[in-house]
Amino acid sequence: MLSNKKKFTNSIVPTCPRNSRGATETKEHVMFTRIALRLIVVIGVLGSAGAAFGQDKVLNYFNDTALKVKATESPVQKREILSNNLSEMTRALDAAKNSSLTSAQDDMQLDRVKATLQEKSDELVGANGFDRVPDDQLNAFSTYIVQDMEQADKSITISLVAALLIVIIIILIV
Amino acid sequence: MRAFSTWRGHAGCVALAMFLLVSCSTVPPAQDESQLAGSPPRYSLVFIIHGDGDYLYHDTLGRARRADKDVFERAQAIATGLPNADVVIFHEIERRHVLFLIPRHDGRAYYYRRGRLVAQESYWRDQGDSHFAPEAKLYKQFAGAQPHPPVRMLLYFGHELPEFNGLGYDESYPKRRVTINDLAEGVKNIAGESEELDLLVLATCFGGTPHTISALAPYARYIIASPENLHLSYFDLEPLASIEVGSGDADIAAFADRFARNAFDQLVSEVQTAISVVVYDVSATGAFRDSVHAAYARTLTAANGTSLAAVEHCDCASDSTYARPGMGRGLTVLYRAPRFGRMKHEQRHSGWECWRIAE
Repeated sequence: MLSNKKKFTNSIVPTCPRNSRGATETKEHVMFTRIALRLIVVIGVLGSAGAAFGQDKVLNYFNDTALKVKATESPVQKREILSNNLSEMTRALDAAKNSSLTSAQDDMQLDRVKATLQEKSDELVGANGFDRVPDDQLNAFSTYIVQDMEQADKSITISLVAALLIVIIIILIV
Repeated sequence: MRAFSTWRGHAGCVALAMFLLVSCSTVPPAQDESQLAGSPPRYSLVFIIHGDGDYLYHDTLGRARRADKDVFERAQAIATGLPNADVVIFHEIERRHVLFLIPRHDGRAYYYRRGRLVAQESYWRDQGDSHFAPEAKLYKQFAGAQPHPPVRMLLYFGHELPEFNGLGYDESYPKRRVTINDLAEGVKNIAGESEELDLLVLATCFGGTPHTISALAPYARYIIASPENLHLSYFDLEPLASIEVGSGDADIAAFADRFARNAFDQLVSEVQTAISVVVYDVSATGAFRDSVHAAYARTLTAANGTSLAAVEHCDCASDSTYARPGMGRGLTVLYRAPRFGRMKHEQRHSGWECWRIAE
């Protein structure tokens, strides 16, 4: 469990000078835990409004990415934006899962979301049996991701804690 | 002077708060009887819009929208444009509190007669089991001394109505169970003596299952539903603006077909995920529903004791437990595969969705 938490911290902090890395990690780990717990308490007190905030934040994250893709001319850059978005969200899911604050039920649901994100990453590059998304369909593909995640949001039920963890991690990553 | 001004400010706030509290309860506007004179309405339409949950979606321009508010506005526009109808709109909303303490009503009802809003009321939804009893009571209450004409159509907008478990459907009441059987009970109570509805529109995800259609079958001759995911932009309501109902079977069948095709075309132009809109001629689907009833019930029982993560939807035709010759009888299936993803090459859907439990 401890090693999981260490991995989680590593995934979200910028690299540090080698000689002070251990101490910095511990400080940042403690700081992150405090921030996360405070946010969970504050938003948890808000009840359903807090849950809605968490869900909306995740959906807005995908929508913002789609807007960036559509505002970009170069297909190479479009792919890069989409690829970064999908891998950042996957990292957030991994981090939430490894935080030890989520339940076994949450973890199963998070794995389902992660699997759908992996499929989208594969389709973007044409791996694992997928046809590569053509350059002229990247805008439509970005809309597909938004709409698919909006629908997944309605059928995949994760706890408030898990939803908020993902939000917090996204805020820290982006 | 400053103290007086502050006191006056506080008094103003209190007065405003009192006004808001009062105005949040019942607001029956005075009915102008002269506007209601003339030939009585010929039919009733009922909208039930669930908004007590996460209904955020983004339109094609990336603008954040709330599905329940969008459809409520569209339903209002339809209601004001129908000179021969009674239209009642129920909007089920999240329970909120004034100053975190005083609970506010979690439902709003609007009654239009011949295109005019003649009554509106805030109300409490069921606080225990949900059978849409307050909605049925309000529906009758709105009519007053002038009975409603027969309910010809009922349209429900919301998330997938659970077929088992049912916990968490309402965000405000996470411990309350809501299932498709509750809606069926509500339809029965609202329709009352109207016998069967001509058309029931179920604008939810995964509404086209043998169990859901069977639950609603006693109360409607035609049902429009989506066996797959339905995007939150929902079915387009435009065909309702030119509706004429009650003229016979052929007319209602033609209208259901027109409504479904219009909704499908609209979704195709906006949505990249799978689109499925199906018209169920209820009596013609009876043989298939009966033939899979026992197997479906066993799956639901098993699913009820299983983690939700281990249960998934599938096209009934893809599972030998449910696939039957003639399962398409009574169905008009409009389907477009998702533009991306593993299912993009699946160009057909049977029109029936079932459950599969992962091994």
